[in-house]
Amino acid sequence: MTTASVFRVFIITAVLSLVGNWLGFNINPIAALPGMIILLILVALGYWLSRVSPIKLPSIAYISALAIIASIPGVPGANLVAEYVGRVEFLSLTTPVLAYTGISIGKDLDAFRRQGPKIVVIALLTFLGTFVGSALIAQVVLKLTGAI
Amino acid sequence: MRSEWKVHLLALGMVIIAESIGTIRFQLGPGTVLLLPMLYALVIGMFLPSLRLVNNEDMETASPLIGFAVMFLTAKMGTSIGPNLSSIFKAGPALILQEFGNLGTIFFALPVAVLLLRMGREAVGACFSISREGSLAIVADLYGLDSAEGRGVMGAYITGTLFGAIFNGLMSGFLVNTGLFHPIPLAMACGTGSASMMAAALGPVVAAYPEMTTELTAYAASSQLLSNVDGLYMSLFLGIPITEWLYRVFKGKPVANEPHPAHD
Repeated sequence: MTTASVFRVFIITAVLSLVGNWLGFNINPIAALPGMIILLILVALGYWLSRVSPIKLPSIAYISALAIIASIPGVPGANLVAEYVGRVEFLSLTTPVLAYTGISIGKDLDAFRRQGPKIVVIALLTFLGTFVGSALIAQVVLKLTGAI
Repeated sequence: MRSEWKVHLLALGMVIIAESIGTIRFQLGPGTVLLLPMLYALVIGMFLPSLRLVNNEDMETASPLIGFAVMFLTAKMGTSIGPNLSSIFKAGPALILQEFGNLGTIFFALPVAVLLLRMGREAVGACFSISREGSLAIVADLYGLDSAEGRGVMGAYITGTLFGAIFNGLMSGFLVNTGLFHPIPLAMACGTGSASMMAAALGPVVAAYPEMTTELTAYAASSQLLSNVDGLYMSLFLGIPITEWLYRVFKGKPVANEPHPAHD
């Protein structure tokens, strides 16, 4: 995709999210617009950086880093970022993702049906693994440092 | 080009329907089942081919768009990290080191997935993390969400959204009752990166040690915060490479399908 068409997709996604934010959370699109523009800038800048930077990292690494820096208290404008982006609900950003996924999923539906039950089992195992892994390490470290 | 506008318009319609229905929640056993608008959007999408509203070209057109939409999620998550960054420097060694326990999922789930269930590359997508939004973003970027890895992470994401809270509540209740763990490490383990899962997992721990409620809640919340801060980078730089390596070890042959940027 050309850079121009990628940026067009960014803008359309932002519009879809504003609509979702309005219908799902009753947040007026005008009120949410500044926050959405901030997100749009972070996304576009991060995407652009990942293309031109000599350090080859996925665009989300750049986007995330930029968003973190822009919101650290004390960084110029950070309070505005927090305030405006706060009016864009997280869940209203997930709905467009799953809408596009839903449209594209048709061609993978058979694969999904075959793998589905296995994936459910594995997903539950990952919850168990993460929980037990964290509890074990915390328990050992706290014992070693004499905290418990 | 025409296909792309059609896909955008369909997505807009799906967002409007899904968000108008809104979130539905109901109690099931120890936890709450959340039916979120994103789930309706997905289900509507599954019916589009049978309604002859999308063809193969539209499906192909929609695939790369997922990765771009996910970038907004990443940006939003990032802006909630900045204000909390200083909490990392205040956290003790136990709280920080237990974050690496989140990688325990790989050694736990991947052997079962590959050796027992004979899964393919779906296992890589499903096993490297607990498959929350950040993981979707990573897989979208590295493999594309319409790949086998994408099916893995997407399936696990939906599983977590539907059953994560219930499962975590049951699991934590069971582990508290074994008496193997001190309540503080258990509370730290509750913070895995999903707010609803944390709340569900913390419930039984607090119920068993009511006199420590404030302390335990604080540990869980700090751990949750840390997971949100480090999750994406932990998965990107440790989780995925370890999973890829272990997958190769189990399969005993080089992987044909190397990661490639989705937007190439």
